[in-house]
Amino acid sequence: MINNDEIKAIYIHIPFCKNICSYCDFCKMYYNKNLVNKYLSELEAEIKNNYHKDKIKTIYIGGGSPSSLDINELNKLFNIISLFDTSNLKEFTFEMNICDIEENKLLLLKNNKVNRVSIGIETINNKFLSLIERCQDSTEVYDKVMLTKKYFDNINVDFMYGFPNETIDDLKKDLLFFQELNVNHISIYSLILEEHTKLFINKTKPLDEDIESNMYYYIIDFLKKRGYVHYEISNFAKEGFRSRHNLTYWNNDRYYGFGLGASGYIDNIRYTNTRSINNYLKGIYVLEKEEISKRLDMENEMILGLRKIKGVNKKHFYDKYHLKLEEIFPINELKKKNLLIEKDGNLFINPYKLYLSNSILVNFIGNECLK
Amino acid sequence: MNKQLIRNFSIIAHIDHGKSTLADRILEATNAVSKREAKTQMLDSMDIERERGITIKLNTASLRYNYNGQVYDLNLIDTPGHVDFTYEVSRSLAACEGALLVVDAAQGIEAQTLANLYLAMENNLVIIPVINKIDLPNADIPKVKKELMDLIGFDEDEIILTSAKTGEGIDQLLQAIVERIPSPLGDENKPLQGLIFDSIFDSYRGVVISVRIINGKVRVGESIKMMETNAVYEVTDITINTPKEVKKEELIVGEVGFISASIKSISDVKVGDTITLANNPSKEKLPGYKPMKSMVFCGIYPIETSRFEDLREALGKLKLNDASLVFEPETSNALGFGFRCGFLGLLHMEIIKERITREFNIDLITTAPSVVYEVVLTNKEILMVDAPNKLPDKSKILEIREPYIKTNIFTPSEYIGPIMELCQDKRGIYINMDYINPTRVNIHYELPLAEIVYDFFDKLKSYTKGYASFDYEIIGYKASDLVKMDILLNGDTIDALSVIVHKDFAYQRGKAVVEKLKEVIPRQMFEVPIQASLGNHVIARSTVKALRKDVLAKCYGGDVTRKRKLLEKQKEGKKRMKQIGSVELPQEAFMSVLSMDESK
Repeated sequence: MINNDEIKAIYIHIPFCKNICSYCDFCKMYYNKNLVNKYLSELEAEIKNNYHKDKIKTIYIGGGSPSSLDINELNKLFNIISLFDTSNLKEFTFEMNICDIEENKLLLLKNNKVNRVSIGIETINNKFLSLIERCQDSTEVYDKVMLTKKYFDNINVDFMYGFPNETIDDLKKDLLFFQELNVNHISIYSLILEEHTKLFINKTKPLDEDIESNMYYYIIDFLKKRGYVHYEISNFAKEGFRSRHNLTYWNNDRYYGFGLGASGYIDNIRYTNTRSINNYLKGIYVLEKEEISKRLDMENEMILGLRKIKGVNKKHFYDKYHLKLEEIFPINELKKKNLLIEKDGNLFINPYKLYLSNSILVNFIGNECLK
Repeated sequence: MNKQLIRNFSIIAHIDHGKSTLADRILEATNAVSKREAKTQMLDSMDIERERGITIKLNTASLRYNYNGQVYDLNLIDTPGHVDFTYEVSRSLAACEGALLVVDAAQGIEAQTLANLYLAMENNLVIIPVINKIDLPNADIPKVKKELMDLIGFDEDEIILTSAKTGEGIDQLLQAIVERIPSPLGDENKPLQGLIFDSIFDSYRGVVISVRIINGKVRVGESIKMMETNAVYEVTDITINTPKEVKKEELIVGEVGFISASIKSISDVKVGDTITLANNPSKEKLPGYKPMKSMVFCGIYPIETSRFEDLREALGKLKLNDASLVFEPETSNALGFGFRCGFLGLLHMEIIKERITREFNIDLITTAPSVVYEVVLTNKEILMVDAPNKLPDKSKILEIREPYIKTNIFTPSEYIGPIMELCQDKRGIYINMDYINPTRVNIHYELPLAEIVYDFFDKLKSYTKGYASFDYEIIGYKASDLVKMDILLNGDTIDALSVIVHKDFAYQRGKAVVEKLKEVIPRQMFEVPIQASLGNHVIARSTVKALRKDVLAKCYGGDVTRKRKLLEKQKEGKKRMKQIGSVELPQEAFMSVLSMDESK
């Protein structure tokens, strides 16, 4: 299947951090001035080699901690970004850490077309902050977010729950604080004890799954009551502030991924870049490539699309693949079990079963479905 | 070859007493294998044998040994050590004139050794007692010598001391084999009588049979007849193992070798049958072997129902060199089409399961092992029941009898207490105790066979820190107050989970089983109630709570590839489960019906 559509989204990964959080298994490394310089040069080379002059609508700069770069380095980064055709740019997100938020950096972002800032706050509970090895107090967090608001109205904050021994009371305190921030977008994540993280190695005991599940539904309820629309498993937005960039992913659309460990989807190829800084600096960018067959693409369309609360539009699916959903996947069986719901031509996961998404999504992979 | 120069012998030893190492050393000493070629456990050719360090199938090696200017042919016919394979032992013993009794210098005689030794003596074999591992720091040679003399009646100077590790004593041993073991009897001029003591399936040569020539001889090109099945084949190939394969033109009286005859039909070959020449047949068959009775049964089902025929073929091929395996098709409401298979014991069952999975690549669900019950019906008819769900309705049953065994438990005397407690828990009846020496004892109990099919070995091992050894003989059937206990999941009786239990233990068992099931059944999309019942009477219940969390909230940018890998892993896990109604069961669930109350 050839897709000659212009690519409208770009993800850029900046792997450097001044502090490594104990739960993080993203591609990251300690900030090192010399390495940052070399990295940015190589990033420029990668982009020049692969970017095909598409008109870009969304850019997302994530990490690691892109905000750990100093003013000079940021300038160098934005110079690279000026390579892109941004005449149609709608959304440009930059990830910030609380400790990096300062007026001149915000100003620099603003002057370089950034119009959305995503801030990793996670929690203000000292017990959990020390567990995830972050250092911030609630006054500082509040002040920094207010400072950011002076320059940006489109702000996301990351919220984390499901810490070991966390109680519903702990959760409520965090939520009330987040409510005070009154930002337009909130992403929620449970603490996952991933292999190769400090927490996993220290054999941290996970929170009981019943409690965690209750927390998830509590958060949804809490945020909905405060005017946030739940539009994706983990994401909430005030009207008009959904993340266009992330919707690229969930709509199974194509995007460029540049930088260490980044993934992308170009033409029929999904690729993942190397996590080895040495290989990357030698110009060996790609670690894995996979050609996406029509079958695989349809599966991905569902796996990603069902993350959205509105789910997958049946007509859109048919227009895209010229096949009916029901011919390919056990839709009726899942509907009968009340795991999937159909409404207004959209097929979506039963809201009460969202926390069991994987068990539902496994029905969309593998050839057995192709009967 | 002059039959006076032939010696056929096997080795009897307890697991770990060094049989395979000793065999390796003998092969080396007779230059059958160079040091360079030597890998350990030369004769154990199956992967499972090498991994578990046990011998399951017999194997034969023909060695040349130069003694006093004469070259002798020594045929070593390997034997399994485990009690389950007594049948195999008796087969190899029937092809021999002598046996080496190998005993560990530190551990002394063990239960299984003794059982196999008695078998050898019944077969009138000459026994050469060997104390092995004399190099061990904790070897106690005088004590083990005394055991051999007291228990079996050997003279001290008959006993040969060896270390298979250092090679010490191997020459004396080889000399003793030549001097003490008689050459085979039999008459070269009589019509051919050859005992089939083993067979394997080779995809190029068809069925290959292992034969010991008792009378006459056989040459390549001659037509042989299987006396029981009347099948006739032309011999295409005669080989011996040295243990490299060597071709021969003929096998004469007293010799042991492998015969291929393009035998395609597995059912034409029966281990224990006699081969003779088609144009000059012997009038009489050799006595062969008593057919072995299966003691333990279980249902074996392919997880993928479409692989039923593959499973049938796999069982057929395994049966070829394992006559003791029996199977017949069976249907379960829960599991679909499969086979009820009979085994000599639990280890045998495990080995077969593992071989099907490994050699034929079929994923299996097996039901809990069951013994064969003798059910007396009200009309006095007797019914043999090898599966709980074949038990007739209670109203038609007059009496249920179950097989009992008598134990030989060899143990250091400090473990007598715990062992008696274990046997008592398993409905055992104490008989007596024989002191082998002041610190070692042989404990005899009568136990229902059903009670040892699950965790008796494991418990015995852990109660005695592995010092006790165990063997048993079947002593017959006794009436017991037995009932069928059913297990219900989500309100449906799962036939494959039914089990026959003693009425006095039913409540306790029901509770233990239900708790165990709760533990092993993973949480599902819906709540799953579990019940144990006798007839319509529920005796225990529990619930597997519904799954609450199964989600990957964090999405790595758009990295759907990584997400897919996680989902694929999850799907793989699902494949190893059996979907029964709306419930997915892992293999452990089917074994958990044998759970005992662990709190005791």
